[in-house]
Amino acid sequence: MDVTKKAATTWLKQQGSLGRRAAAGAILLGLFGILLAIIQAGVAAFLLRGLIKPSGTPLITLGLLFGLLALARAALSVLADSAAFTAGAAGRRRLRSEILGRLLSIGPSLLRHEHSATLSSIVVDKIEALDGLFARWIPAATLAIAGPVLVLLATLIADPLSALILALCGLFVPVGMAAAGIGAAAASRSQMQAMTRLQTRFVDRMRGIGTIVLAGRAESEAEALKLAADDLRRRTMRVLRVAFLSSAALDCAAAVALVAIAIEQGRSLLTPGDAPGIARALFLLLLVPEFFAPLRAFALAYQDRMSGLAAAEAVVALPPTTQDGAERGIEPPATAPQTVAAHGISIAFEDVHLSWDKARGKALDGVTFRLPAGGTLILAGPSGAGKSTVIEILLGFVRPDSGKVLLNGIEISSIVPQALARLTAWIGQRPVLFATSIRENIRFARPEASAEELDEAIRLAHVESFVADLPDGLDTLIGEGGYGLSGGQAQRVAIARAFLKNAPLLLLDEPTAHLDPATEAEVLDSLNRLALGRTVIMVSHSAQAHLLSGRRLNIVAGRLQQGERSGVA
Amino acid sequence: MTEILRIFALWRGRFGWMAAGLVLSLLALAAGLALMALAGRMTAAAVTLGVLAAPILLRLTGVARVVLRYLERIITHEATFRALADLRLWFFRNLAAGAAGGLGFRRSGDVLSRLVSDVEALDGLYSRILVPVVGALLTLLLLLLVLGAQDAWLALIVGVLFAAAAFLLPWLAARATAAAGQRLAEAISALRVSVLDAVSGLREVRVFGAEGRMLAAVQAREANLLAAQRQVAGYARLAQAGSFLCAQAATLAVLLGAGAPPAAAVGAAFLTIAAFEAIGGLPRAGALAGYAIASARRVLGAVAEPLIAPDPPEPAPLPRETGLRFEGVHFRWQERRAAVLDGLTMDIAPGTRVAILGPSGAGKSTLAALALRLAVPEEGRILLGGADIAGLRATDLRSRIALLSQNTHLFDDTIRANLLLARPDADESALWAALDAAQIGDMVRLLPDRLDSWVGEGGLRFSGGQGRRLALARVLLSPAMIVILDEPGSGLDLETEQAFLTTLNALGRGRTFILIAHRLLGVEKLDRIWRLSGGKAIAAAA
Repeated sequence: MDVTKKAATTWLKQQGSLGRRAAAGAILLGLFGILLAIIQAGVAAFLLRGLIKPSGTPLITLGLLFGLLALARAALSVLADSAAFTAGAAGRRRLRSEILGRLLSIGPSLLRHEHSATLSSIVVDKIEALDGLFARWIPAATLAIAGPVLVLLATLIADPLSALILALCGLFVPVGMAAAGIGAAAASRSQMQAMTRLQTRFVDRMRGIGTIVLAGRAESEAEALKLAADDLRRRTMRVLRVAFLSSAALDCAAAVALVAIAIEQGRSLLTPGDAPGIARALFLLLLVPEFFAPLRAFALAYQDRMSGLAAAEAVVALPPTTQDGAERGIEPPATAPQTVAAHGISIAFEDVHLSWDKARGKALDGVTFRLPAGGTLILAGPSGAGKSTVIEILLGFVRPDSGKVLLNGIEISSIVPQALARLTAWIGQRPVLFATSIRENIRFARPEASAEELDEAIRLAHVESFVADLPDGLDTLIGEGGYGLSGGQAQRVAIARAFLKNAPLLLLDEPTAHLDPATEAEVLDSLNRLALGRTVIMVSHSAQAHLLSGRRLNIVAGRLQQGERSGVA
Repeated sequence: MTEILRIFALWRGRFGWMAAGLVLSLLALAAGLALMALAGRMTAAAVTLGVLAAPILLRLTGVARVVLRYLERIITHEATFRALADLRLWFFRNLAAGAAGGLGFRRSGDVLSRLVSDVEALDGLYSRILVPVVGALLTLLLLLLVLGAQDAWLALIVGVLFAAAAFLLPWLAARATAAAGQRLAEAISALRVSVLDAVSGLREVRVFGAEGRMLAAVQAREANLLAAQRQVAGYARLAQAGSFLCAQAATLAVLLGAGAPPAAAVGAAFLTIAAFEAIGGLPRAGALAGYAIASARRVLGAVAEPLIAPDPPEPAPLPRETGLRFEGVHFRWQERRAAVLDGLTMDIAPGTRVAILGPSGAGKSTLAALALRLAVPEEGRILLGGADIAGLRATDLRSRIALLSQNTHLFDDTIRANLLLARPDADESALWAALDAAQIGDMVRLLPDRLDSWVGEGGLRFSGGQGRRLALARVLLSPAMIVILDEPGSGLDLETEQAFLTTLNALGRGRTFILIAHRLLGVEKLDRIWRLSGGKAIAAAA
């Protein structure tokens, strides 16, 4: 944790220096506003003096001046607030793109460790939490020193003793804040964690809400949610208690300053009719709130910094991008699909070992095979034997612990994942469908595809046969996770995607698992056509898998079965 | 506004906390006003209170103000967050009540946004709007009394300015941001949806090279969010500036108008400043009210949809008999779509094993949905133990029937927690028996954490076939007397499927097993086979 904390602080510092330039406007405007407030307090004092004992400057001028200064201060605060918003928005925009870009570039391996809702809360909520860092903390940190110093100087000119009182009370503020703020960072972090936990649990349960309700467990799940919500409340209160304590310390300091100055001025003013004295007293008392205002803003913004720090820890804890390890830029000789289609892609596994989780044993235990360009390989075997792992490796989602995987003779780990993805079309066991129309879900594979290409893919995947019955046809909206479609229909949408993608390497992970035998035969027939001129690996334990012509290999417990290995290699 | 009242009605249970917070807040306010007024008077030579009394009073009010203010904040926030937690719970319960069939077309990101952001947006209703408004009323009264004693005109002017800052400007800001607030609530939700899409679809995104597109989609949603926020912030700062100017005008009026004696003038000036300071948060709160109202609407709206099959007002007792009978059932999923079931009649005797076969789209899964009252037949009825299921309580009905569907979900939790969902009181041996029956016990035994192994999001840490068998084990563990297995073999290899079906033959005498499948493997021991065709069930030889 200490390493993370350190890295987070460093990261925050970097962000600070990036944000400071954007915050310069807000800082200058804030300083100018404080200056005007001092002048205005002076004008008010002169005004009072003039009222008691008429003197040189006409009251109307002073009144007008007071009004003008008020207008100028209002305008400045509007501008400063606007500048702060702009700085906050710019900071969030930059970071959100950066973080999401990073998640996208690390890719699916992230999901093995983190729930998608946890990741998404980093991109949404934790970045939102950083707004205060750019919008408030950075300007407030500068103004908290410059502002009170300015006010103090003005007080010093009017009455040194009052200045001393203010200075002493001012010095108490950081001490009080520090005392109140012990553990503030920990409290912020734990609040943010509670929030993320609540979100993750909620999203996970929502996705399976039907399962919960049908099992009659909605009430106990509600109880669990109540615990999470209560936990969040307690942790939020802990953060707020710190904030309120430090604000109470401020209140206290301000009250002491006010009372002390009032008494000091009151005692020296026992002689009635002392107009300059009363005016000076008013001036000094008016400056007390101005002295504490920047400190108050600082105390508030300190919370922003704490939540910023907590957010930064989540950001820093993300794994580095996979590309960082790979030699960038080296792409297989055949990057453009056309050239690849001509030459094809050959695949070789050489003594590949891989375990997803050390404690759980090996998923692949010395797998060796060779598949020539344009060849078709059908991997069979009991579920959990490691068939899907072969596909995962070829997709670049995971790297073997040892052994070599070669594409056209090139080590797969040296290929940029995105470049690898370009070569591959894939049908997974659990296709992710988005909440949009069926058409858009298929076009996701290649948005720039022409209408003819889309029609062709739809026909080959036998999407037509069920779409024809739907009232809105291809434009029928489906829900998240394919709601509204049966398992088999969702599968065919995924198959249509693979057809549309039109890549030289086809990786099929149980493509027909949810289909009835008749549809399965039709789809396999289409796949046979798609397989022409491409390299295909299909994982399947369907009895009909033989309909796809190609070599068969059995994987059992991470090993290719003896007899058949030689036949292929 | 009705939405806000409904939200407050849901917070009934927290009215005690809220009242306590309100009282404390008023006390703190009174102490604050007294402090400022006294400080002003003190300066003006302590004419009225005497030299000795005033400093003591000053100290007292000063301390009281600090302590009361701290307590007030703690209590009002405690009240707020308790109310928010209640609201989240209420939201989940009502959402669950209508979601037996899953989220449907609702998006998890949007539902999440309602639970998180929209509920959070309501946090200011009590502590930043209600409490300060009551405080402002009191302050206004006090201002009028104190200033009125000096000068009626002055009291009127300051009173009007104060009312403008405390009530008019926030109200105007709330009106101005009604539309932007709505957009803001929707923009946050849209951002969540797009990010969750991109992240849960990381595999698809990578394989189809959609990184750029997803990023652009998120950026577009973010731009909408920032625009809405900018608009709300713009109104907020205008209202804030307006309120500041009111305060300045009032101060000037007091300075000019109070005149001699200066003691009163300074005292009045400080009272005025303190009064305006106390309502300093209201304009901003007003600008956020539009967002809060929109959020209240979204929170209430998510659970407002009528239930497909609500419980009858007086549910019949759950019959002990477990025979299931479909009687002349007609059903279509949407009005414009063709009928799936067209006068289907079928009897499933208690304790029997039956298979329902047919190609996809024949209505096999529909039967399961109807039996669990996830959908209601257009015509005909479904009887459980002789009682029409429409007359039963849904939770009762569902305690009788367990379903393994195509959408059965594995939760991001341990194997144990996933299994216990079906029967929370199941002991260790029952868990293993279910896992063994589902042909996955041996695999789980090999895991280092065994039953406490983490399953991962949607069962991600296991292969598709393994995940399917875990779900299967969960259904077998259920104490329900009727078990519907919709395509239990999908994703399983042939040997495993055969082994499972063989085990099933020896399982739980007295329970009814309904097997829904494309085809039979021949190892099943069945009492009856039905074939669905043309929306009807045709008995086939067993």
